[in-house]
Amino acid sequence: MSPTVRIRGGRVVDPVNGIDGIADLGVRDGRIVALAPHEPVGQEIDATGCVVMAGGIDMHSHIGGGKINLARLLLPEDHRRGFAPAALRDNPLELPSCGDCAPGTLATGYRYAEMGYTAAFEPAMSAGNARHAHLEMGDVPILDHGAYVMLGNDELFLRLLHDGAPPELLRDYVGHVVHATKAMGVKVVNPGGISAFKFNQRRLDVDERHVHWEITPRQILGALARALHELGLAHPLHIHASNLGIPGNIDSTLATIDALDGFRGHLTHVQFHAYGQDGPKKFSSAALRLAEKVNATPTVSIDVGQILFGQTVTASGDTMRQHANAGHGSPRKWIGADLECDAGCGVVPFRYREQSYVNALQWAIGLELFLLVDDPWRIVLTTDHPNGAPFTSYPHLIRLLMDKPFRDEQLARLHPDVAAQSALKDIRRELSLSEIAILTRGAPARLLGLADRGQLGAGAAADIAVYRPAANAEAMFSTPAWVFKDGVPVVRDGRVIATPVGGTHFATPGFDPGIEATITRHTERHMRDVPRHRVIGRDELCACCNGGRLLPAACFPQVA
Amino acid sequence: MSLALPTTAADQDDADTRTDAWTCPFCALLCESWRPVATDPPGLQGSDCPRALAGLAALGPSDTASPRALVDGAPADLVTALDAAADRLRAWRQPLFGGLGTDIAGARALYRLAARCGAVCDHADGEWLSQATRAVQDRGQFITTLGELRSRATLLVFVGTPGTARYPELFRRAGLGEPESPCRGLVFLGSAPPAALPAGVEVDVVAGSGDLAADLQQLAALVDPQRLRGADPALAALAERLLAAPYAVLVWEGATLPSESALVIEMLHRTVGTLNRSTRAASFALGGNDGAHGVQQTFTWLSGLPLRTRVSASGLVHEPRSHGSDRLLAGGAVDGLLWISSFDPARLPPTTTLPHIVLGPPAMRQALADAGQLGDTVWVAVATPGVNAAGHLFRIDGPVVLPVQAWRDEGLPGVARVLSGLADRLEASS
Repeated sequence: MSPTVRIRGGRVVDPVNGIDGIADLGVRDGRIVALAPHEPVGQEIDATGCVVMAGGIDMHSHIGGGKINLARLLLPEDHRRGFAPAALRDNPLELPSCGDCAPGTLATGYRYAEMGYTAAFEPAMSAGNARHAHLEMGDVPILDHGAYVMLGNDELFLRLLHDGAPPELLRDYVGHVVHATKAMGVKVVNPGGISAFKFNQRRLDVDERHVHWEITPRQILGALARALHELGLAHPLHIHASNLGIPGNIDSTLATIDALDGFRGHLTHVQFHAYGQDGPKKFSSAALRLAEKVNATPTVSIDVGQILFGQTVTASGDTMRQHANAGHGSPRKWIGADLECDAGCGVVPFRYREQSYVNALQWAIGLELFLLVDDPWRIVLTTDHPNGAPFTSYPHLIRLLMDKPFRDEQLARLHPDVAAQSALKDIRRELSLSEIAILTRGAPARLLGLADRGQLGAGAAADIAVYRPAANAEAMFSTPAWVFKDGVPVVRDGRVIATPVGGTHFATPGFDPGIEATITRHTERHMRDVPRHRVIGRDELCACCNGGRLLPAACFPQVA
Repeated sequence: MSLALPTTAADQDDADTRTDAWTCPFCALLCESWRPVATDPPGLQGSDCPRALAGLAALGPSDTASPRALVDGAPADLVTALDAAADRLRAWRQPLFGGLGTDIAGARALYRLAARCGAVCDHADGEWLSQATRAVQDRGQFITTLGELRSRATLLVFVGTPGTARYPELFRRAGLGEPESPCRGLVFLGSAPPAALPAGVEVDVVAGSGDLAADLQQLAALVDPQRLRGADPALAALAERLLAAPYAVLVWEGATLPSESALVIEMLHRTVGTLNRSTRAASFALGGNDGAHGVQQTFTWLSGLPLRTRVSASGLVHEPRSHGSDRLLAGGAVDGLLWISSFDPARLPPTTTLPHIVLGPPAMRQALADAGQLGDTVWVAVATPGVNAAGHLFRIDGPVVLPVQAWRDEGLPGVARVLSGLADRLEASS
C-alpha cells in the first residue's frame, strides 16, 4: 500500500467534473480520494500556484506496431546527430533509446510522461500484426495503451459485403476480430482503397466501386459503423477517410460523414481531409465547411492531425495514397507493404516547410479546425504522431491555440500567400486552460469510454499532471513539476523518476462464436493451413505487454 | 435499446483452446499445420519437412540428466554458473553479444543486459540482415506477405535462389499447384530450379550472365519504359512478363546473394518500384531464421536502431559494417563474447581465443566439447522456444508474429530468464 498523498492548493482544472478552482487532491492506492482537510497523509506536495490536470491522453498516436518500426528502420538519421550518436538523457533510470519523429518505444514512454501524458493509443493495428503491436506497446514504459484494429480493407469483410451478408454476420465478424486481436476499437483506413490498390486501382472515392469486390466505401462505412453500434463498443468507428491529401477532398470527407447514416463516427486527422481546390494554386482551406458540418452533426467527433514544421515521417495504412505521395518524400525513400489480405502499410519521410505554400496552408487549416469547432468535447488534440509532427511538439501546439499574438507571429513567417489569405489571422479565439484540458484529457477519455481517466473526481485513477504556470504555455506544458501514474510519482520537474509498466485497454464484445467456421471457410483459399486471427488470450496479452495490467472494457450492445 | 448478444468466453482467459496447436520454430516460415512426435529421434506428424526433422534430431530426445551448466568444462548449478558469467561480464571492457538465436522475450532481456554492459549486438545471420537493412535505409522497399503472395501472385521470380533449398515447405505455403492458386509462372533467375516443382505451373529459367548484380541492373532498366540497347533477350522477355503480370513477386534470399549484396537488393527493390508505377508487384525475402527477425525488430523498437549497434548509457552507435561480428573478432576490437543459440545446438560460437559465455540447448554441450570450446567458457543450457518453452517469433515475411508452444518439459530456463539473472547481478553490484 502506497502512502496517501495530498496535492495541496493547486488550481484544479477538471472539466469532466465542472471544476476549475483552488482545491486539494488526495491520492491513495492509485486512486483519487476525498480527504478531510486535516487528515494526516504520508506525503504532502505543495502545488500552490500550479495547475493540476488529469494525465494527458493521446487517442491517435502511432506508438507501436509494424509501421512505426519500419519508420525507425528506414531512418537511422533520426537516431543520430550527423556522425555522432544522439544525445541521451543523463538519467540512470532510462534505458538507452532515441529518435525524434520515430523514437524508440522506451523514449516514447519517457518523453510522453515528461509532458504529463499518461496514455496513448495506437490507431492502426493490422490484424496480422496485432501481437507485434501489443509487444511494442508493452515496451512503451509508464503509459497505458491500446489499439484500434483496421477493418474494411480485409478481403473477408469485403467479400461478405459483396455477397450481401446480413448485418448480424458482419457484426459477429467484427466482434471476433476485436476479440482475437485484443483491440479497443476499430479503424477503417481509406475504406476499400487499400484492398483496391492490390488490384491496381489507384483512386477510390466514396461512391466509386472497388474494381474487384464491386462495393463502395459508402457501403463499407455504413456496415462497419452499424456493426460497432450493435456490438456496443465505447469508441465509435475511427475513420481515416478517402482521398487523403488530395486537393478538393472536402467533398469526400463530407460524404464520409453522410455515409455513417446517423451512426456515431470519429474522423481522424481531419486536417489532411479538409482541402478545397479554390484559388490560383487550386489548393485551399475547407476548414470552415468541415467545422460547420461537425458542428451540425452531434454524432461525429474528430481529431485534427495538426502539422508542424520540420522533419517527420508519415506512417499510414493507406498504401494507395502513400504510393501516390512517395515522390514528395524527403529524404527520398519509402517503404510499402501489402499485408496478409488484411491491410497495407506505407512509410514516407516528410519535411514540412514554412516556405511551402501547401505545407503552410496545411498548418493553417489544422489551426482553423481547432478554433472553428464549437464543441470541445468532440475535438481532440493530435498531430497524428508522427504524420503531422512528433508528439513532442504538443506544448508548442497548445501555445498556438492559447496565444493569438504568438499564432500571428508564426503566421507571419510562412509563405506570404498563406499569411495574406488565411482566415486564421481573423480568428481571435484563444482556448482556455479548461478547453485544453478537454481537448487533451476529457474528450479523448469520453470518446474512448475511459470513465475513470481524463478526470480528477474521487474514485478516478490517479493519473495527474501538475504544471507550473508560465506566460508561455509551451514552457508550462513541456516540463510539469509532477506527474503521477496510477498514484505513483513518475516525473519530477520534467525528469523521469519511475518507470512502471502501463496497462492495456481492450474491448470485450459479445458475438456468436459460430462466426469462426465462416471465417475458416472463406479464408481457406488464401490462408490454408494457417489459423485465421489466432486469438490472443489474456495470459498471452499479459506476456506481450510486459506483465502490465489488463484493462478490459465492457460493451453495451444496441439494436440498430 | 440494449440487447443481449450471444456471448463468447470473453471473461475467461480466452486463448486459442486447440490443444494441438504447434508452430514449427526451425525456420522462419513458422508452419502451423503439423506436429512433432516425441520419438527417438523426434518425428513429425503431417509433414516430412527435412529442415524441421533435422532441427528436432539435432536437439535430440528429452534430456534431464546431463549437466545444465559448465564453468570452464566443470559441471555447475545454474546459480554458480550465472555468478561466474556475471563476474566475466563485469571484467569485459567491450563485449560482443553474438548468435542471438532467441525469441522476443530473450531479445527484450538481452537489450537490458547490453545496455548495462555497453555491448555490441549482432545476429549470426547479421551479414545479410545488415545488407538488407542498408538497402532499405538507402531507398526503401515494397514487400508482401505469405497470405498476399498465396492469394494474389500471378508470377513468382526467384532471384538467385531455388527457394526451397533452405525453406522446404515454401511452395506448399505459397499454394503453388493448387487449383485455386492464381500463380501461373515461376521463373528462376540466376539459379537452378529445385528438383521438386509444383504441378500445373509453367517454369522458366533465365540463366543470366552469372553476375546477378549485372542481370538485376539490366532488369531494373528493362522494366522502365526507356529502352536498353543490347539487352539479354531472356531478361527482356522476363521484363515484358513482369510488366504484363497483374501481381508479380520477386523472391530473394539473403543467404544466397554475393557479398556486399546491398546494391543487388536495392536494384531488386528498384525493379519492384518501377513495376508499381503501372502494375502491381512486391518483393519477398527468404530469411529471418533463428529468431533473426524478432531480435532485429525488438532492438529497433526499444532503441530506435537495428542490430550492429553498440548500446550504452553514453549513446547508441549504429555501425552496420564495423560492428559486424566477424570484423570485430578479427580486429581484436572485443574482449569477450556472449553467444546465444537456443534453436540450433550446432551453431557454435566462432573459434576465438576470447573468453565466452554460451547459451544453447543441452545438446550443445557435446558439440562444444567436440569442438574444444569448453575452456574459458561458461555454458548454460537453455530451453528452445517451440520445443520446451513457449514464446513469440516473427514469421519470414516480417509483419506477422506468432506464438510458439512448448510440447515437452525439461525444466530448462529460457534465454530471457538467464539474461535477466545476469542483469540483476550486474545491477546489484553497481
